Amino acid sequence: MEKNGSSSPSQPVILIVDDEEMVITSVRAFLNLETEYDIHGFTSPEEAAKFLETQAVDVVVSDYLMPKMNGIQLLGRAKQLQPEAARVLLTGHADKQSAIQAINDVGLFQYLEKPWDNAQLLLVIQSAIERTQLFRSLRDKISELDTAHSSLKDVQSRLLRAFL
Amino acid sequence: MSEEVKPAPQVDEPMDPATLEAELQTANRKLAEAHKMASLGRLAAGIVHEINTPIGSILSNNETTRRSLDAIREQLIAGDCQVPAKALKLLDSVATLASVDKIACERIYGVIRSLKTFARVNEGDLRKMDVRELLDSTIKLSSSVYRSRIAVDKDYGADVPEVECYPGLLNQVFLNLIVNASQAIENEGTITVTTRLEGDRVHIAVSDTGSGIPAEVRPKIFAAGFTTKPFGEGTGLGLTITREIVEDTHGGAISFETDMDNGTTFHVRIPVVQPRAADQQSEQTRQESS
Repeated sequence: MEKNGSSSPSQPVILIVDDEEMVITSVRAFLNLETEYDIHGFTSPEEAAKFLETQAVDVVVSDYLMPKMNGIQLLGRAKQLQPEAARVLLTGHADKQSAIQAINDVGLFQYLEKPWDNAQLLLVIQSAIERTQLFRSLRDKISELDTAHSSLKDVQSRLLRAFL
Repeated sequence: MSEEVKPAPQVDEPMDPATLEAELQTANRKLAEAHKMASLGRLAAGIVHEINTPIGSILSNNETTRRSLDAIREQLIAGDCQVPAKALKLLDSVATLASVDKIACERIYGVIRSLKTFARVNEGDLRKMDVRELLDSTIKLSSSVYRSRIAVDKDYGADVPEVECYPGLLNQVFLNLIVNASQAIENEGTITVTTRLEGDRVHIAVSDTGSGIPAEVRPKIFAAGFTTKPFGEGTGLGLTITREIVEDTHGGAISFETDMDNGTTFHVRIPVVQPRAADQQSEQTRQESS
């Protein structure tokens, strides 16, 4: 079930995935109070993955232990679908192994433990958004450079043809 | 104060069948005790995991609620219309309740954090730990039993380094010593926990202002099956296991001094670096230098 607010293109888009509805409600209420983010919450990781197939997201915050698909699997899917979106694991099951696996396998931006600190969570999300947007603008700049480069090549070959 | 008493060294001698039978029984009971500790550890870890999500949610909601109430109050006062005094009074009272909830939640969270440190019984790895952190979690968890009658004084040395240890097992040592100390104090008293660096070992002392250990009991306290507690309360294995964990598992030393007027102090000394790890380290250094 998707539970989202209104969206506008300039707002950062945050995806929160936790099989416990209460976590989504709490994080959403806090972020709504403090920010203007467009927040989407899912209790089903599979539906969250479907959402990622069609909607651009800046940050994915996921729980670890969930039925059918765990947080690392979901974040792995997110990495495939939207590599530039920052991935955050928010887990109550704090063990070394899941942390190491998450960091190595899915290139985690941050590993947070429950109970979380709101101020810290906000700071993490803010820097995650910044990182994602930097990635996106870098990608745009590279494609601009590519276009400029190929048109320069075109000009160069025409010049060569004109003079030789 | 009397002299420090050290456990008698164990001598390997041919044993008769009755002694062997008794040893086997003790070993079986120790095994059962270890299983019990391990399942308690798993249970604690499960509880911590179950509570983390709801307490996280409550803590977060509490903060959001308090901030929202502040914002509502500001907007009400800034507005032009007259705000009924009753409404402001209710708002303040709700804000007070939310602040109390915050303190209550933080207390629950404190216990959960201690439980989390304590639940490391499952972690079988040798790792570097601050003994003060282990002592704090043990004191916090056990204090609920004696808090009203016993004060706990901590005297932690500033230069105490982390020690290489099995944290779950050391927790068991500290729990045994602190619970014993609390049981030695009949009415009101003080338990003092001291940590110091002593050369290449960390010295942990647990003192109580209790009744002291009678002279005739002193030689037997580390013996398996010996207990002064009522039937069903003590297994008679607490100090036996404690000694094994300190001396056999960690290559440390345990001793006590006791005085019928001033109480008992247990001294635990744990090497900062475990011999096996030290070997590996020096081997590594050798490899690096070659």
